[in-house]
Amino acid sequence: MIGASWTILRRELAGLFLQPLAWALLLLAGLLQGLMFSSFYLPGRGGDVHAAGLELFGGTQLFWVLAIVLTPLVTMRMISEEAKSGVLEFLLTSPVPEAAVVIGKLGAATIFMALLWASGFLPLVVAALGGVSPDWPHLFVAYLGMVLVSALFCAIGLASSALFSTPVLAAFVAFLGNFALMVSGIVTLQLADAVPEDVVPRAWIEWVVDKFDVVARFQVSFVAGVLDSAHVVFFLAWTAAFAFLAVGLLESRRWR
Amino acid sequence: MIEVENLTRRFGPHVAVDDLSFRLEAGEVVGFLGPNGAGKSTTMRMLAGFLPATRGRITIGGFDVLRQSLEVRRRIGYLPENVPLYAEHRVEEMLRFQARLHRIPRGERTARIGRALERVGLTDRRRSLVGSLSRGLRQRAGLAVSLLPEPDVLILDEPTSGLDPIQRIEVRKLVLDLASEHTVLLSSHILAEVEAICPRVLIIDRGRCLADGSREELVEELGGGGALVRVEAAVLDAAEAARLLRSLPGVETVEVGERVGIHTEFRVRGEGDLREDVGALAMAKQWALRELSWERPSLERLFASLVLGEASATSVPRTVAPTAAPTAAPEPTSPISTGLELSVSGGAPTSAPSAAPMLNPFERRPDASSSAGGAATDGAPSAGSRAERPPGGPTLNPFERPRTQSDAPASDDGTDDRTGDRADEEKGA
Repeated sequence: MIGASWTILRRELAGLFLQPLAWALLLLAGLLQGLMFSSFYLPGRGGDVHAAGLELFGGTQLFWVLAIVLTPLVTMRMISEEAKSGVLEFLLTSPVPEAAVVIGKLGAATIFMALLWASGFLPLVVAALGGVSPDWPHLFVAYLGMVLVSALFCAIGLASSALFSTPVLAAFVAFLGNFALMVSGIVTLQLADAVPEDVVPRAWIEWVVDKFDVVARFQVSFVAGVLDSAHVVFFLAWTAAFAFLAVGLLESRRWR
Repeated sequence: MIEVENLTRRFGPHVAVDDLSFRLEAGEVVGFLGPNGAGKSTTMRMLAGFLPATRGRITIGGFDVLRQSLEVRRRIGYLPENVPLYAEHRVEEMLRFQARLHRIPRGERTARIGRALERVGLTDRRRSLVGSLSRGLRQRAGLAVSLLPEPDVLILDEPTSGLDPIQRIEVRKLVLDLASEHTVLLSSHILAEVEAICPRVLIIDRGRCLADGSREELVEELGGGGALVRVEAAVLDAAEAARLLRSLPGVETVEVGERVGIHTEFRVRGEGDLREDVGALAMAKQWALRELSWERPSLERLFASLVLGEASATSVPRTVAPTAAPTAAPEPTSPISTGLELSVSGGAPTSAPSAAPMLNPFERRPDASSSAGGAATDGAPSAGSRAERPPGGPTLNPFERPRTQSDAPASDDGTDDRTGDRADEEKGA
């Protein structure tokens, strides 16, 4: 199972980098991160390299926008296009469980996203070479949080890719799914303001929202520099749930 | 090795595979034959475990395809029709990926990849991108990928489609070569190919099994539309000669072909080998024979008769027998008992009776009964034995049915053209 997942992962990663899209995304992300850092974050923070670096690592809305837009682009083709070209038929008749296929693809997409976010380290490395070192451990924790969030979005993207047979539709639906998950917490809390305290206690709503509010989880732990196992498990659990859904959808393809 | 029981697959209201059952022993090479949309690919997909069956059971090497899917997948090599390979990878990389999927030990990989490439003759293209390969080379790369794990069972869906004739011969050789160590099930709609490769043939149409057996068995059992004897002789009156030929026992149709110089070509269709009878007739009539050859009943004819017959009769030929017999019965009696005496005119009457007994039923009896698969009872009158003749192609084939003297040749041509076109179209597609 692990060996098979690893095989698939390597193939997928190679496949990603053999396509121009991956390179284009990396280039764009690198440019954008550098530009934002030097033109907005650093001046905005009055030259505080660490604070500006933190904005680069999930401290601003830009991270979320990029995450919900880019992950579907990476995952959209992984299953839907293979289903169309027939390669899926090859994969699913090779001695590999469906779960290994999904895990391998999810791993590849996550690693790609991790590489993409790592481009944020470039301007910081330059700053460090210039003599101003940021607080590296804090930034690494934030980076880990970004990778975990990306893994969750990739799992959503894979499920969507398993459901639809056109990559574009898969990407769009994955984007909608990511967006819904991202804003659901905030929106629910906003709506909850209208609910009187004696009908549904505010604490209950907050308890429920806490179970799916990815943005708040990310901000309070990883961006704050706290590596809390509860939050790590939260993201891993949601990722596993969507990966499981993707496996189910992949299996269900055969019946359709 | 492969056991299929009552396999059924529905796609909504459409029944793609309908109650199919068959067995393949280890080491068998079986050709899966059927027109487009017959359910070949669906069956193969179910065998490979890609599609679940609506009903029925498949076991491969003793493992249930659905319940012990991974065990089965380890033992099969499946090459789908469209040869799915990652276009962005090199041939070698694709093979290495397959080797990893099948957990071929690292040490053996390179050697086995080399061997697989050599087998399909792609060693010089190992560094080529799969996406840049031509259709035929891609097909071979696909074959190499499915051969690499050296599976017990190979399921090849149209392995020769899209190949040029030379590549096709190579693939044929390769499959024959594989036959010694693998159980092979391959599908095709190109009959000549299946005829050349597979000792055993399964013919399916509309998801049902129409015939199963060796080529010879099938041709013998189902008639295959009759054998063909080509005669080229110098005769005075072609129409007259055709009439005489048609009066021979066992002859079903006679086509008069072109006249080249003083020779006229006749194509005599009937049961078994009619050469001796035709030769005897020619001797008796003192025709100068230039050619007398027998074309064995081919799978193509059999296939056409089965599939076309299926289209008109919509039932399995074996069960059609009783219903087909009555329609066949009245026909043969007329040319033999009355047709000959009444229609033969001029100089013929004197020689015709002398020819008739000589060629006759009693001499042919053993031959006829053997070709009828023992259906004919010895000593029965010729008309009777002909009525009991198993329903061959002609009775099932709507195009051959009108066997009146005037349009028989035309109708025969029609059939030939049709099957020819079919094959061409399918090749083109």
